[in-house]
Amino acid sequence: MNSVFSNKGTIAVFVLPTLILFCGIVLIPIFVSSYYSLLDWNGVGRGTFIGLDNYVEMFKDTRVLNSIKNSLLFAGASVFIQLPISLVLALILASNAKGEGFYRTVYFIPVLISTVVIAQLWSKIYNADYGLLNVLLQNIGLAHWAQDWLGQKHTALAASFIPTLWQYVGYHMLLMYAGAKSVSQDVLEAARMDGASRLRTAWSIMIPLMKPILKVSLVFSVIGAFKVFDLIYVLTGGGPFYTTEVPSTLMYATIFDTFRYGYGSAISVFIIVECLVCTILINSLFKTE
Amino acid sequence: MKALLKKSASLILTLGIVSSLAACSSGSSGGAQGESNGKIKLTLWDQSVGNTDPSAKLLPEIVEKWNSEHPDIQVERTGTTGEQYKTKVKTSIAAGEAPDLFYGMGGGSFMQPYIKSGNVLEISSYLTDDIKERMGPGMAEAINMDGKIYTLPVYTHIANLYVNTELFEQAGAKIPTTYNELLDAIEKLKAAGITPAVIGEKDRWPGMYWYDIIAMRQAGNAAVMEAFKDPSKWDSTDFVAAATKMQQLAQAGAFNSSMFSMSYDEMLGAFNAGNGAMMFQANWVNAGIEDPSSAVKGKVKVIPFPVFEDGKGTNTEIFGGAVDGFYINQNTKHPKEAVEFLMYLSEQLGTQGFLAGAGLPSWKTDALDTSSLSSLDLSAADIMKTATSFIAWWDNILPAESAEAHKNLIAQLLAGDITPEEFCKQMAQLKPTELSL
Repeated sequence: MNSVFSNKGTIAVFVLPTLILFCGIVLIPIFVSSYYSLLDWNGVGRGTFIGLDNYVEMFKDTRVLNSIKNSLLFAGASVFIQLPISLVLALILASNAKGEGFYRTVYFIPVLISTVVIAQLWSKIYNADYGLLNVLLQNIGLAHWAQDWLGQKHTALAASFIPTLWQYVGYHMLLMYAGAKSVSQDVLEAARMDGASRLRTAWSIMIPLMKPILKVSLVFSVIGAFKVFDLIYVLTGGGPFYTTEVPSTLMYATIFDTFRYGYGSAISVFIIVECLVCTILINSLFKTE
Repeated sequence: MKALLKKSASLILTLGIVSSLAACSSGSSGGAQGESNGKIKLTLWDQSVGNTDPSAKLLPEIVEKWNSEHPDIQVERTGTTGEQYKTKVKTSIAAGEAPDLFYGMGGGSFMQPYIKSGNVLEISSYLTDDIKERMGPGMAEAINMDGKIYTLPVYTHIANLYVNTELFEQAGAKIPTTYNELLDAIEKLKAAGITPAVIGEKDRWPGMYWYDIIAMRQAGNAAVMEAFKDPSKWDSTDFVAAATKMQQLAQAGAFNSSMFSMSYDEMLGAFNAGNGAMMFQANWVNAGIEDPSSAVKGKVKVIPFPVFEDGKGTNTEIFGGAVDGFYINQNTKHPKEAVEFLMYLSEQLGTQGFLAGAGLPSWKTDALDTSSLSSLDLSAADIMKTATSFIAWWDNILPAESAEAHKNLIAQLLAGDITPEEFCKQMAQLKPTELSL
């Protein structure tokens, strides 16, 4: 049987269905979108070829620039807030904590719930009239902090980041937990023999040995931040006044609200390029010898 | 042995792939216009799925009745909710996979690109005088687009002010008929701790409805029509005055403080729960207000929007009159049967739907028993009878991009981010309407 799997022809046959699906669903649409991005097209009828005009317009459009800024902020929040929390949780769980399995499951639950449900849940939490958050603030004597979290320019962005950060903490935690669990017990025992404290072990042994998995988490969380859509779309729709707009929601609005398929496609191509560049960048930064 | 195993394994795998590909390619293609045993199959898409949407109950009944009476022409219906429906239709038309018949939003820009690009079947030649005869007054003109007809009317929708009489009484406020009375009512309601009016500005169009009616009351419908054709007219004293009034209302606390995070659905929920004294909306909200689950059932009155002491508009100039209807796909394989069904569906849904409170009638209703209608529906119908002119939803009249800009500007006006003068300057930058008004 082994020789079956080492046969190149067989490998090709095995890979082919996925390859066809992948080309049909991922690669071809990317090329088609790239072509559309060179058109001035309303989605029906015929588009006119305008070269790179859409891209030129994009980098002058304050709304696009603002959405890119938001997605960068979001990526920053993911890397510097979400990942450290996941790491700490993962390390605690991996150090044979009590109720390991229970907590592992509990933290992973939000990952399993549909993002739309999460967004609905949090929009109720944030609701200005009956939201849990405001009620909580009132009950602990901070009534003057209660406000319309998603409806104001200065709170909307942060308020719409928190649910996604929260949602995926469990996901990254599980990845890192698996990484931490795979660190050889011998190494840990040796450290314990040398009298290293738990913090010291985590910092000097666990984290360096978890580097490959940390890189994966980093890539996932940055790319996830760049293409976040459903949560923002349901929570705020990019409003109020574009303050929570990210490239993907802007792309949707451009295509489906203003019928500008060409311009919207240019934005989508930008998102792909942005994700690719970041992945390459992170990979080269974290080059494992 | 090994070689045999290898060969048979790759053979099985190849066979598996080939058969799965074949399975994919046969069943899934088209689907829109399949024919089986000589029967004609028509597909129909609509957006009537809501719990309190009377059409959602009627449509399946009408389709079922048609199917039982026409065994040769079977109709298959799919319903999708509001905004998703729009996206679905847009995408499927662009992809050339639209159904035979689909619902189109009334009044302009939604259907305009598809009509222009020849994606919608022209049905003028199928229309007999007999059918035109059965339509309500003015309807034949309302569906006429540059001398061509693409749809038949179903309902008419007009927007009016909904007031919760119980809350008004509680606050000791008078139901407003003029702008000053409106300001007065807002003050009294606020003093009584009641939210004067609710807007679901997260979706932006509910706020647009307020500005649009204010502009129409201030400048009059004729001036608004002119401005649609020549956008530079948006920057004139009347429209500045309208924007000023809109901002004045917002600053007077007329609207819920949570408006920018409240969606349209939440707005309806809030009004129906009695959490707001006024709401400016079209008569598609009637069924929800009159639903047994509503806390304000029987306590709400529908009135024309107040007139302005210094305004040129009158209360017989109406915001609305949009005629919604079903359209036929240009590429349908059975145009004749589709038109036949369109006529049946439009008239049935138009008349039965009116009796069920789904919208105001676009067909003659003299022979109908209207005793089952709610007082809201009857008052809305009465208001429509007084109409001297109609202007439909502005976001349907303006080209898509300008419509978005218009809604965003109003949101900024509501938040006090721009002055009325700036608002009008930016309105003057919009594109003229592509419709022939």
